[in-house]
Amino acid sequence: MLNTVAVNLRAIFRDRVFHGIVVVALLFLLIPSVSSLSMRQVTELSITLALSLLSLILLLLSISLGATSLWKDIERRYTYSVLSLPLSRSSYLVGKFVAVALFLLLATLVLGAVACCMIWLASGIYPADRPIVWMNLVLCIAADLLKYVMLVAYAFLFSTVSTSFFLPIFGTISVFLAGNASQQAYDYVHSPLAKTLSPVVKQAASFFYYLLPNFSAFNLRINAIYGIPLSMKAVVLPVMYFCIYTTLLVVLATVIFTRREMK
Amino acid sequence: MMSKTVRKLFLVLPILVGYLAVVFALADYMRSKPFVEKLGYIPSVNTMKAMSADHRETVGALLMLKVLMYYGGLVDKASNELEMPIDYPAMSRTIDASLKLDPYNMDGYYFAQAILTWNVGQVALANTFLERGMEYRDWDWQLPYFVGFNYAYFLKDYGRAAKYYRRAAELSGNNMFISLAGRYMQRSGSTEMAIVYLGNMARNSRDQAVKKSLLVRQAAFIRVLELEKARDAFVQQHGKLPGSLEELVRAGLLRGIPRDPYGGKFILQSDGSISSTSGFSFSGGKK
Repeated sequence: MLNTVAVNLRAIFRDRVFHGIVVVALLFLLIPSVSSLSMRQVTELSITLALSLLSLILLLLSISLGATSLWKDIERRYTYSVLSLPLSRSSYLVGKFVAVALFLLLATLVLGAVACCMIWLASGIYPADRPIVWMNLVLCIAADLLKYVMLVAYAFLFSTVSTSFFLPIFGTISVFLAGNASQQAYDYVHSPLAKTLSPVVKQAASFFYYLLPNFSAFNLRINAIYGIPLSMKAVVLPVMYFCIYTTLLVVLATVIFTRREMK
Repeated sequence: MMSKTVRKLFLVLPILVGYLAVVFALADYMRSKPFVEKLGYIPSVNTMKAMSADHRETVGALLMLKVLMYYGGLVDKASNELEMPIDYPAMSRTIDASLKLDPYNMDGYYFAQAILTWNVGQVALANTFLERGMEYRDWDWQLPYFVGFNYAYFLKDYGRAAKYYRRAAELSGNNMFISLAGRYMQRSGSTEMAIVYLGNMARNSRDQAVKKSLLVRQAAFIRVLELEKARDAFVQQHGKLPGSLEELVRAGLLRGIPRDPYGGKFILQSDGSISSTSGFSFSGGKK
């Protein structure tokens, strides 16, 4: 299994994914000058922009690596030769998933460090109203990473049932949007504003709320940008939620992949 | 060989010329587009919240930067004169959307307070923004300070002003705010406080257009205060209000009538207050 992870990680590097990231990451250099356009919150704006750019890069990586890596192997018929080796299908799939997750971790570490440098530079232009809480910033970036690893698990799940890359790519994008909006939709449906909605719609909304991933739980932006204290619950619960939800997705993907007919 | 190159050049040249002609025409057209068109269609806040996923704060900040650039672009930097009428309703809507996407964004509150109150008289709207913001930025003394100022200076509601100044004092640990509301009661206190307030606002602003707008207003108010002091001295000496500002000059209380930086002319109202034909705006000064 460790071998599978190493081989897949090497394959990602061979695909020169990092080159692409570096080109987009050049935008980080613009953050201090764009932030200086703000009237009163240069540092806060630099944190907002840095976190957004980092999140955007991780999203692109999750979709491109998560949704195409399995499909590409099957399409190129690599899977057949790999699976003829003494390696179970589940190890193969989990190995691939862990490799993508590790690559995301590596990208987050590198880009997170660059983001922190840019924020530090911007804070030199015009100090924040409240001092930057670096721990909140690190936790926010870590929460983003967990969110995207979860999204990769979804991409793998879609890849195991699909024969093309359309479902994995568009399905993953839909899950990303729905997962970010699910809390808002749930709050609206259960607010006095939605009095006129039928109970069936409300129950359906609740069903999807519990079924879909709740990405809002991983959004610690406000705490990172404005230095608002984070409660223990806001950190521990999402981590536990991530562990259980992702494991479920990977197990489900493995079960489907083991039973899949390879032609 | 040569003819091939020439042929290629003849093919490329018209395209290049066409491109230059179109790109300059396009840039001209884009520059003249009104604000709402320039900003493009703004979807409802709820749609933006759902579609911006985890980039809500960024979308809010970008909307706010758009407003700042629009305003800065319209205010001529040299003389602070407006080149074309500003679409304030569109600006208010955009600020509202921006603050709903990120209710912590100080730029939105600051801009609303600096521009919407003085330039458009939308004090109630600014107070709605600020009071909403106080629920989120519950550590920030500036928001209650702004609301307190608006209640005292514009709305003459000294009771509420005192309440917000007390809140500003609690949050900042500075008791100066408590004595502020009382000073508005004095006749020229209001102008004096406005001068101090505008100076503070201008000092803290990094946006040159907003800063300039505040400083010009402060300069106008400094001249109004000079006139008010001369008027009060006249009342003390003669026991009645002067008939005009010229009378203050004749009485030796003023060297001359100061110039209104907005281009208008200062006048003495029948109730003794000082106003200007400009209405303290450049568009008024041009009339």
